[in-house]
Amino acid sequence: MKAAHRPGRVQRRGALLLALSALLGCGSRSDPGAGERARLSLMLSPTERRFWIPLARSFETSRPGVEVDLIEGPTSTDLRENLYTTALLAEDDSLDLVYLDVTWTAKFAAAGWLLPLDRHFSAAELRAFLPAALDAGRIEGRLYRIPIRTDVGLLYYRRDLLAAAGFAAPQTFAELVRIARALQSPPQRWGFLWQGSQYEGLVCVFLEVLRGHGGFWIDPESRAVGLDRPAALAALEFLRRCRAQDPISPPGVTTYKEEESRRLFQDGRAVFLRNWPYVWSLVQREDSPIAGRVGVQAVVHAPGAASAGTLGGWGLGVSRFSRHPELARAFIRHATSLESQRAFCLPTGYAPARREAYDDPELTAANPFLLRLLAIHRHAVPRPMIPRYAMASDILQRHLSAALAGLESSRAALHEAAAETRLLLGRRRPETNAEVTRAAGSR
Amino acid sequence: MTGHASGRERAALLLPALLLLALVVVVPVLRVIQLSFTHVDLEGGMVASWAGLDHHLRVWRDGRWWTALRNTAVFTFASVGLELVLGIGFALVLHQRLRGRGVLRAIVLLPWALPTAVMALAWAWIFNDAFGVANDLLRRAGLIEAPIAWLGEPTSAMAAMVLADVWKTTPFVALIVLAGLQGIPETVIEAALIDGLGAWQRLRRIVLPLLMPTILVAVVFRAVQAYGAFDIVYVMTGGGPGGSTETVSLYAFQNYFRYLDFGYGSALALQGVILAVALTAILVRLAQPRRR
Repeated sequence: MKAAHRPGRVQRRGALLLALSALLGCGSRSDPGAGERARLSLMLSPTERRFWIPLARSFETSRPGVEVDLIEGPTSTDLRENLYTTALLAEDDSLDLVYLDVTWTAKFAAAGWLLPLDRHFSAAELRAFLPAALDAGRIEGRLYRIPIRTDVGLLYYRRDLLAAAGFAAPQTFAELVRIARALQSPPQRWGFLWQGSQYEGLVCVFLEVLRGHGGFWIDPESRAVGLDRPAALAALEFLRRCRAQDPISPPGVTTYKEEESRRLFQDGRAVFLRNWPYVWSLVQREDSPIAGRVGVQAVVHAPGAASAGTLGGWGLGVSRFSRHPELARAFIRHATSLESQRAFCLPTGYAPARREAYDDPELTAANPFLLRLLAIHRHAVPRPMIPRYAMASDILQRHLSAALAGLESSRAALHEAAAETRLLLGRRRPETNAEVTRAAGSR
Repeated sequence: MTGHASGRERAALLLPALLLLALVVVVPVLRVIQLSFTHVDLEGGMVASWAGLDHHLRVWRDGRWWTALRNTAVFTFASVGLELVLGIGFALVLHQRLRGRGVLRAIVLLPWALPTAVMALAWAWIFNDAFGVANDLLRRAGLIEAPIAWLGEPTSAMAAMVLADVWKTTPFVALIVLAGLQGIPETVIEAALIDGLGAWQRLRRIVLPLLMPTILVAVVFRAVQAYGAFDIVYVMTGGGPGGSTETVSLYAFQNYFRYLDFGYGSALALQGVILAVALTAILVRLAQPRRR
């Protein structure tokens, strides 16, 4: 690498590349580091890796001498988070890019492991992304993550069953329960499936039920905690009742993660399923027993409140320990371009993070569901973007899970969770009335 | 050749092993001890500062730690107890001169050879309420009407974890005990036969007392391992429902890798190790043959 820093050589090569790229019609933005021999690396899940290969190859073609190393990590998101944590903690320079879930960003940024990106991306460039997806990478006013794909909680339903019984798709919790009861015949077919195991997914489910009741978890502005307010109690009671008397959810729903619930639904054994967009292409595949008989829509809400699916998604950040930050940013720019979004989202069915991708005829033709997703995404509810999010999530997970398992009453569970969350946020006493009013007004 | 190396030679021969041991054991342990007296967390931007006894005092006021400790104790006693009984039984059978003994020994060892995470995932599916084999078998046998969510209730979730652990590690106990059995001289058994001792008396008065040192080794190994149970919990329940299956090592892990609180995580790990060492010392003392 030392030789490459001799200015003369860089300039010569840079000029050559500039000429070449102008000839080929590629972007002619000159990057120091372009034209050098360099290696960029990025760890991702083995299921996603093959869809990244075209993105990596096209980047390599536009920058001779650059190699993009797509490292295959474990399938489990948690395990990849652990690996990134270990590598960054050790100040390892072998991972240049960090492929970030929404919930990691604040933590990694607070630990000082990510480089801020604000200065390097123009306002016009950033406006091209869905605002909610972009904001998920903005911590305390600074941008650390550029979104690639976005996720939002959705309600899947059996269109054929609802149509046969003359039901319209439900809008409210009460309608969902009524239709589920009418169409289910447990244990062969259950009414409503969701993710109730003690893990992050439970928090996602609860958060959208909470918003659907008009409540909030941690207010982003005032840091007020809304877990011991009536809306939170109503939300938890709704989930609890799903598997209490005259249940619409199987007893095992409190042990389900995404895949357990998806498999059951895909086997034709449920009327409704709460899950992420990835499910759509799987249940519509030819070998799926319910292909062509599935509908999807926004999650339900209480009368008078609005529907809000939990926001998820993935994006790229630059490691502070990268030896090629400029090149890494260039790769991010490349991977989030419209062409790359097309190459990435067409075969996967992922929801793109770039706004204009939703107007792309090729993408919408392949996946007509995208347009609906765009509308749903507009009302997505983000999880709190605090550095100690993992702890806040665990507090909530434990108490929700305890209440669902009948170990605590809903009221006690939420009071405990609220108290512990306030302690975590560094305030011991409940909010003053003024703060509560402001929190309510800000939504 | 005197057969005795000089002191200098002995030191030189031991040095590589000592260095390796220092590198992989002593250094990390010292580092954990040091970290447990330090604030290294997100609030401080991961910059270390002196914490004194803060973390160690916090451990004992932490309700979640007490729950984890209780869960760990239940898991350790239940799984090691069952494994011991079954393992000794297996070993006695495998020690007999049976046809196909080699094959039988290989089959019994199979679960032990599987990676814990893989077998835990399999057991999680076995106990799934809708797709699981456990519910299917029970329903076919007419023992249950409605499917049971095994991993959804604290007691059955713990029982499921113990069962999975027993399935996996009984072979380990059996193997160690089998080695012990093979070390018992035939002549002792023959003498007992001549003295007219029945099978049960032979087991109780001859075999088990002679096996005691071996059993102790198995128990210490297993107790320490079960006390540190992590992967089986992480995969099967993630500590749920409501934290009712969270173990000490899982809690320490959460502090390290998810909360990035290295000071507190180290204090939890250290307190856990101290308790494990105490437990082992008590076990060894209890099982030592009384000197006459």
